[in-house]
Amino acid sequence: MVTKVMQIILSPVLALIVGVFFLGLARKIMARIHWRYGPPLIQPVIDMIRLFYQKGVSHGRMFDLGIILSLAGSIVVVLFLPFGLIAPLSNSGGLLVILYIMLLAPLGMALSGGEGANPNISIGISRKLILSLGYEVPLLLVLLAVMTRYKTISIMEVVNAQQSTSWSIISFPLFLSGLSYFLILPAILGIRPFDVSSAPQEISSGPMAEYGGKYLALATIEHAFVMFISIALFVNLFLGGAANPIIFFVKMLVVFVLGLFIHAVFPRFRIEQAIKYLWKWPTLLAFLGLIMTLAIGS
Amino acid sequence: MSLEILLIIAFGGAVLTYLMGKASDKARDSFAVIISLVLIAFVACLYGKSVEKTFYFGFFGLGLVLRLNMLSWFFAIAISSLGALCTIFSLSYMKGRERTDFYYLMMLVVNAAMLGIVLAGDLISFYIFWEIMSWSAFLLISYNRGPALAAGMKYIIMSVIGSVCFLVGMLSLYVSFDTLNISQIAPAISSASGGHILFILTAFGIAFGIKNAILPFHTWLPDAHSEAPAPFSAVLSGILIKMGTYGFLLVFYVIVGLKLFLGLGSGIFSYHSILCFLGAVTIIIPTFIAMMQTDAKRLLAWSTVGQAGYIILGIAFGTNLALAGGIFHFFNHALFKALLFLAVGAVEFRTGTRDLDSLGGLARKMPVVFIGALVGICALIGVPLTGGFVSKWLIYKTLILEGSGFLAFFALAGTWGTILYSYKLIHNVFLGQLLEKHKTIEKAPFSMQLPVVLLSVSILLFGILPGIPLKVINAIGTSFGFETLNVTLWGITSESGTLNTINIFSAFLVAAIIVWIVFRLGAKSVSVPQEDSYAAGAHTPVDKYHYTVEFYNPLYRMIKPFLRDVIDEFYYLIASSVRSLAGSVRRIYSGDVGYYVMYIILFLAFLIFVQLKWKPW
Repeated sequence: MVTKVMQIILSPVLALIVGVFFLGLARKIMARIHWRYGPPLIQPVIDMIRLFYQKGVSHGRMFDLGIILSLAGSIVVVLFLPFGLIAPLSNSGGLLVILYIMLLAPLGMALSGGEGANPNISIGISRKLILSLGYEVPLLLVLLAVMTRYKTISIMEVVNAQQSTSWSIISFPLFLSGLSYFLILPAILGIRPFDVSSAPQEISSGPMAEYGGKYLALATIEHAFVMFISIALFVNLFLGGAANPIIFFVKMLVVFVLGLFIHAVFPRFRIEQAIKYLWKWPTLLAFLGLIMTLAIGS
Repeated sequence: MSLEILLIIAFGGAVLTYLMGKASDKARDSFAVIISLVLIAFVACLYGKSVEKTFYFGFFGLGLVLRLNMLSWFFAIAISSLGALCTIFSLSYMKGRERTDFYYLMMLVVNAAMLGIVLAGDLISFYIFWEIMSWSAFLLISYNRGPALAAGMKYIIMSVIGSVCFLVGMLSLYVSFDTLNISQIAPAISSASGGHILFILTAFGIAFGIKNAILPFHTWLPDAHSEAPAPFSAVLSGILIKMGTYGFLLVFYVIVGLKLFLGLGSGIFSYHSILCFLGAVTIIIPTFIAMMQTDAKRLLAWSTVGQAGYIILGIAFGTNLALAGGIFHFFNHALFKALLFLAVGAVEFRTGTRDLDSLGGLARKMPVVFIGALVGICALIGVPLTGGFVSKWLIYKTLILEGSGFLAFFALAGTWGTILYSYKLIHNVFLGQLLEKHKTIEKAPFSMQLPVVLLSVSILLFGILPGIPLKVINAIGTSFGFETLNVTLWGITSESGTLNTINIFSAFLVAAIIVWIVFRLGAKSVSVPQEDSYAAGAHTPVDKYHYTVEFYNPLYRMIKPFLRDVIDEFYYLIASSVRSLAGSVRRIYSGDVGYYVMYIILFLAFLIFVQLKWKPW
């Protein structure tokens, strides 16, 4: 009981630390690729603390509630995701629940942004939702392939099965699905070439256009969580999870840095181009993965 | 407390309401509400009872039978509750309209007829109530005249085709088994050949498929739902089309039985896999069409078609989890779709429009309706802690574990499409900039808020404690011969994955409180009018900053060419060719005696020619 409570408290805190560390690291690595020196690693923390004490602007009740809803949703997802073997709630519904609670984050942001009544926000949200429809198609095929392969909807059992055999990413036919997941990872994270919804130069950061002060701080935390969740999901499903948090963190770091290299060198897609890309190669790979999984299973 | 009294109250109450309306509007309104509340209480008292009663009225020696079991009770309670809520909603919605007596009469008759359908114990009474329901629904759909007449006509033509199929199926059963009593057909049917069962299932499948609006029989629904008065749209979408679902359950699992139903055909060409496939297609295509609608009720109508796909998929898949998911989704859909139609109806009542391009910012003016709509779309999407999540979870889980990955993919992908159109609904109507002309509108009247609040509360209640309805659904599944599910008050326990909604709920509650505390600890924010910060204090033109028109434009451009309603166009082609054929036939009967004389002479000449040439006589 006590360990369970400890885990419930510990896992969101760990996730937050990892997520914020990734934000700082991203700026540093990006800077080095651009031949700059870059800000210190803890710059996001400094920014957040500063923003937290700055006066912000609110546009109504839903504007506040939306961001709370979004952040709370992300925290709940973290409780369901195994981090190493820390997974306090993973037996309360499995992958399907994770998939659905992951909805709360964009939905909350969209509701909060909608109340802001800024054209840039509306455009940003519209793009964000279209993009999510774009990457959900391959993502769902990938997740279905994994669940069908291991005949379970519990993420913990997927991890355990990989611990006893081999990682899914190097097993046939799930390597197709794993590859597909990696190809859509930048879209899930909303980084270049898929940063259409937050495009700072075009639509003033889209959904975040009206945020200032603590709203911006909370939105940054939310971003850190999303970063953690999408990479941790990949590590759990395809890289075999891990027996302890440290190895898990190392695996996450490798995936993150690889994703960052793509982010650093690619220009931004237009939304139609993004959808065309997402519904072509990643979907094809994921589709093949699912078909082969079904064929082997039966 | 017997079933015939229930039906007498239901039908008699409807007529009495009409008569009262001739004397006083107030008395009629309160009487209509009282009647519908009495019906709820009556049905609630019948919980858990199992009755079968035969009345002989000498109709070709066929007994008219009423019966009650868990399945019919579950539908009856849904019918009576939704009927009452929509009647309450009508009080202010219909105020000052013409022909209100007639409206209430029809509303209560539809309810009574639906109660009759679920309580019918033989196919003749089922058919009689079915027809009463279809025709009174037609009168209500075309209540507004104008385009509503065309919508009603489309509905009734398709309904009549469905009824004919029903009659064919019924007669075929009668010829082989010499009875129409459901509980007598059920044991006898195992002697029937596979081809005969397939024929019966297809006939009934078309009849119920039209009512339930599965592809390719869906074309009446979008017009009918959007043109009907809002409270009746809620009944129509929430419960009336679900009579098709009831019919499917009755024919598949009560009459034909589980084993015969699943054993019909083999592999992917079996009856139930084809129906599953139709269900999956019904989920995906209407969902994408719904995204492109600009009329709020039309959007919801297409969404109804899509959600009906989940119900069919669950019912046709034929495992205990899927069946529970399908029936539970019927119940959830009744709640949340009625809620959404009522919310849109309240907006229409206050603003006079339901055009998604010319609304906005109403969350400030109608907070209760906004929260109701928000809960409604959350349940529609299937966000955890609403009922919609649990039913979809059940369906997905069984699809995945039974190895039907692609059906699961269709079902899941439909959900993401659902997010797009439901966010569009909430964004375009309630969020964003409030239009200048709407600055003075008042909040919705109490009789509109009450049903909205009650429906929202029950959606959340059944989402957090899904065990309450699942207990009843489990009993239904068991009576069909399925294994019992391990249902607890807050979810389902099984080896291959457990659902525990109370854990999700408490985790979410604690997380939200912590985030809220952190939020409060930060520097206080100033409340600023929306236009202020966007234009940085400069003058902004009125009504220019709510970007709603063609909300998903990039996506529209990509998918529009693929989403013509080909089936509807095909039906219209048939209709127009029948009309032109009838037109040319009519030209023969010109009414001029001279022509008739000419036909006779020509015919005689033809006969003489034949006789001279070939001498056949």
